Amino acid sequence: MDSYSNFREFYEKVLRSDLEEIDRERRKVRRQVLIILAFAAPALVLEIVLIPGGTSFPKAVPIILTSLTAMILLGIYGRSFRSEYKTRIISRVAAFADEGLTYSPDGFIPKEEFVRSRLFLHSCDQYSGEDHFKGKIGKTEIEFSEVTAKYLSKTGPGSKQKEDYYVYFRGLFIIADFNKNFKTHTVVLPDRAEKLLGKFGQSLQSFTGGRGELVRLEDPRFEKEFCVYGEDQVEARYILTPSLMERILAFKNKWNKDIYLSFLDSRVCIAISMYKNLFELRPFKPAADYAFLAESLRFLTLLIEVVDDLNLNTRIWTRE
Amino acid sequence: MVWAITAAVIILLFTALLIFNSLIRRKNDVENAFASIDVMLRKRYDLIPKIVETVKAYMNYERELLMEITGLRIKALSQGISAEDRVAVENMLGRRLTDLLVAVENYPELKASANFLHLQGTLNEVEEQLAASRRAFNAAVTAYNNSIGVFPSSLIASMMSYKRRTLFELPTEIRQEISSKPPVNLV
Repeated sequence: MDSYSNFREFYEKVLRSDLEEIDRERRKVRRQVLIILAFAAPALVLEIVLIPGGTSFPKAVPIILTSLTAMILLGIYGRSFRSEYKTRIISRVAAFADEGLTYSPDGFIPKEEFVRSRLFLHSCDQYSGEDHFKGKIGKTEIEFSEVTAKYLSKTGPGSKQKEDYYVYFRGLFIIADFNKNFKTHTVVLPDRAEKLLGKFGQSLQSFTGGRGELVRLEDPRFEKEFCVYGEDQVEARYILTPSLMERILAFKNKWNKDIYLSFLDSRVCIAISMYKNLFELRPFKPAADYAFLAESLRFLTLLIEVVDDLNLNTRIWTRE
Repeated sequence: MVWAITAAVIILLFTALLIFNSLIRRKNDVENAFASIDVMLRKRYDLIPKIVETVKAYMNYERELLMEITGLRIKALSQGISAEDRVAVENMLGRRLTDLLVAVENYPELKASANFLHLQGTLNEVEEQLAASRRAFNAAVTAYNNSIGVFPSSLIASMMSYKRRTLFELPTEIRQEISSKPPVNLV
């Protein structure tokens, strides 16, 4: 990976001209957006004022049609703009972060992988994602993307039943090769119960939600932050060595977010809960903004560093 | 009044039954965890002759160390060795194997041998799993000791003649060598 200090040079020489071109495009789009709004807004006012109420003609129809047309046009303009920025700029920032990293703006970690990790007990009724990165860092295959998972909640009786989707996870989902082979499933979850309720919370942890048994580990700091469930007590400890526990704690402190880990099929899935939408262009701010792009690179670097953070490239055991 | 006494007795009996079952479960957890240590120790016994055979041809100055490792393996496998002595022998064996892997650094040809690298990977694996089994055993013993030490389960435990179990002590330096860092960095 190129060093972080070179990014300024990379930005000036490689990205800047493209960003300025995108900015010109953005200004053009902004003008078009303003024109759409200039037509749509008075049209809406006229429709509201001039169409008489109480007639057989439904007053809401033209208003909804005008609003929909305006929103579709704004969406089309915004979308072209966004994909331009992602394919031309973010893909090159990814290559700068690591040559082997490929980027797909609309790709994401498949739903099956997310569900199989068994990190969340809600049913995954609506799932989406974007910004998929994939590559090999040293010996470790890694992929990650932003994902959003929602569950469906039905309330009310019979025909009046109301359906609502609720977000239970939004953030980054990483899948990486692990440096050891294992056969059973182990999950590491943020320990909210113990943090809030102390000893009483500890006893609540015995509810495993079908994820095996509660695994109590020796490190009190780790136990305070995380709660571990595993199908096999020994294998959970084979994976979670004192050194890995230390590394996971440091990883958590580095991100300062809720971290979930699932160890399955000799791979590790990591979910980082985060509401910030990364790698997006801000429609009303210039694209050619070094600080903004440097922040994207910083997040990308942090994500790639997970391989070092969890020491995944060290293959001194039987797994090559 | 009779109903109240009957209800109290039923609740008491039910609680005693729950405690009884939980104590048996904890004792079984300890036995299972100890069995998994034994499996790993046996894997290590099987591996040692292969390692000694492979390194013997290359190592001219470590004969004493190799003999000591072979001797410790025989001692650990001997019938009639007490549990405490066995722990001491196993710890010593672990330490000597680490010494051996450190000594390998002085023999570049050996270090490059594919056969040795494979054996070393397997040994690291066994040591890592052994460390995990020991930690699982200690966790099971701690839970067991806690449950027989606190009231009211201590009453039932004493009726069942359950005694406190000793933890599988692992010297700090070995624990770090095995669990935190690999004995020899191959990367």
